[in-house]
Amino acid sequence: MSSVLKVSGLSRTFGRGDYQVNALMDINFSINRGEFVLIVGSSGSGKSTLLNQMGLLDRPTTGTIHIDGVNTTNMNEGRTSSFRNRKLGFIFQFSNLLTDLTVLENVMLPMQISGRRGAREYAIELLGAVGLRDYLHKRTDRISGGQAQRVAVARGLANKPSVVLADEPTGNLDSANSADVVQLMKSMSKQLNQTFVVVTHDTEDFGDVDRIIRLKDGRILSEMAPEVVS
Amino acid sequence: MEYRLRLAKRMLFSRRGSLIGAILAVTVGILVIHVNFVIFQGLYDAIVRDITEYSNGDILITDESNLIEKSDQILINWFERVPYVTAAAPRLSSTGSINITTANYQVQEKRIPLLGVDPLRDIQASTAHATVAEGSYVYARNSIVLGSNVARDLGGVRVGDSIQMGVVDRWGQDQVQRFIVSGIARSPGGQGLDFLAVVHIDTLRDMLDREGYTGSIMVRLEDPSKAAELRDMFLASFPNDDLVAETIEESAEQQLAGFRSGIAMINMIGYFGMMSSAFAIVTIQMMLVNGKTREIGIMRSIGAKRRDILVIFLLQGILIGLIGATVGTAAGLGFTFYAKETKLTFNNSLPLEVSYNWPAIIQTALTSFGLALLASLYPSYRATRMLPIEAMRYV
Repeated sequence: MSSVLKVSGLSRTFGRGDYQVNALMDINFSINRGEFVLIVGSSGSGKSTLLNQMGLLDRPTTGTIHIDGVNTTNMNEGRTSSFRNRKLGFIFQFSNLLTDLTVLENVMLPMQISGRRGAREYAIELLGAVGLRDYLHKRTDRISGGQAQRVAVARGLANKPSVVLADEPTGNLDSANSADVVQLMKSMSKQLNQTFVVVTHDTEDFGDVDRIIRLKDGRILSEMAPEVVS
Repeated sequence: MEYRLRLAKRMLFSRRGSLIGAILAVTVGILVIHVNFVIFQGLYDAIVRDITEYSNGDILITDESNLIEKSDQILINWFERVPYVTAAAPRLSSTGSINITTANYQVQEKRIPLLGVDPLRDIQASTAHATVAEGSYVYARNSIVLGSNVARDLGGVRVGDSIQMGVVDRWGQDQVQRFIVSGIARSPGGQGLDFLAVVHIDTLRDMLDREGYTGSIMVRLEDPSKAAELRDMFLASFPNDDLVAETIEESAEQQLAGFRSGIAMINMIGYFGMMSSAFAIVTIQMMLVNGKTREIGIMRSIGAKRRDILVIFLLQGILIGLIGATVGTAAGLGFTFYAKETKLTFNNSLPLEVSYNWPAIIQTALTSFGLALLASLYPSYRATRMLPIEAMRYV
């Protein structure tokens, strides 16, 4: 299996001197294409900081992140944005849809940013796949939380990214909707051979996954291989 | 561009209060300029109009040595051969003193400016006769028209009253003649004959013993834009007569110079008003940017570049400028139309001479549009400086 995401010697330090906080220390792991990986840890363990690093939203203090074999660490601002747009998909806890746009327009947006042709058709296809074909032209502030998170999943998949990063995607949903969204992500992962990296504090919602990386105090506590997890 | 324009529109229109505020700022800025223009340029043009129509014409012929000795008939005939000359009329000015007896009540002698006119030619070259509010214009050698202020100062002279007017002739002798008041003249703003007494030019010539002399000749043209050309032709035709020919801009220069400076200052105040509306746009745009921190963060996280964010907020500035300039220009044109159609006056003063100055209207609209765009530069730049991870914290 090819490695789609490789994190090597990653550390992230905030502040200086007495106020220095080591949020991440010497993180190393790699994720293969099509894997569904959970990153778990309690509050303050560094999991969101790690997600921000993998999402190229923040720069590491030391270490490198390779995505699709490309070292992302020394990219300039513009190239980082383009790379993020083409190679990464995001799903946030609060769905983070643009309320000024419709469901369809939200899903089309990453493709329009990259200038991809056929954005509308593919967005409709994706929304059909997440069961929202009838909500294309609804404003996103007029749909339920569960539906919004489905739209977020579709948007995350829009540019056929190498990795979809999800930050507590079920954290704001009731148990029924949580199960739906997890099921959706898993089925998409299987159907599209799509890599998912999900940051969560609760593994129960997710059931069987390919791997679980546990963080504690900014370090990897354990990394359970698929056979161990199952 | 399509999605950025869509986002710019949606983000802008979802904040109706801010949008209306920004558009109002541009609108008011433009409206101030239009209202200033209509009032002050209108007043200026009205004064030019009245000076042209009542006293100086489009071209005013005078003599370097005070009085024109050359026959007025020769000069008028020269002008009347030109196809686009409407009329030319001779005038002679002096100062007279008037005694009046009304109902056994004698008013003290009063010195007043006198104007001698050729009634037949004057009504073609000037609209002064139209300001006669009571009675009729000068029609005979012994008729006199008094300005309303003169009539009032003389104790309320009426049409039909008999008055005695005296002048000092060229030899220093008092010459007195009795006149019948044929009319009282009153003009809006007092620019007409309100402060004069008007008599037949030949009567005044006789009294002054200045037969054949003329003070000035006012010339009216069908096409005033040809005034300078005609002036030059006239001067070339009479090179040795010490005649002075001036267009209205030249002959009224002294009266208009101060007013022009005033207009320039008022216009400057208007442009300062427009600049303050630009500051209002900066504030409103900053509010829009701050209110859209979350959206900026989301967009950056899904790959939008700084340039995309800049374009979105600049497009908002363009939209504000476009809508504001359109609404403001429409409102300004509405006011201009109203002022023109109703012949707007203030306190019964002279009616404004309102015109549509299209180059100025377009310039004002473009300036305000440009200012709106300029005002959105800094907020747009600020939006681009937001780091996605910082912006996401507001989620």
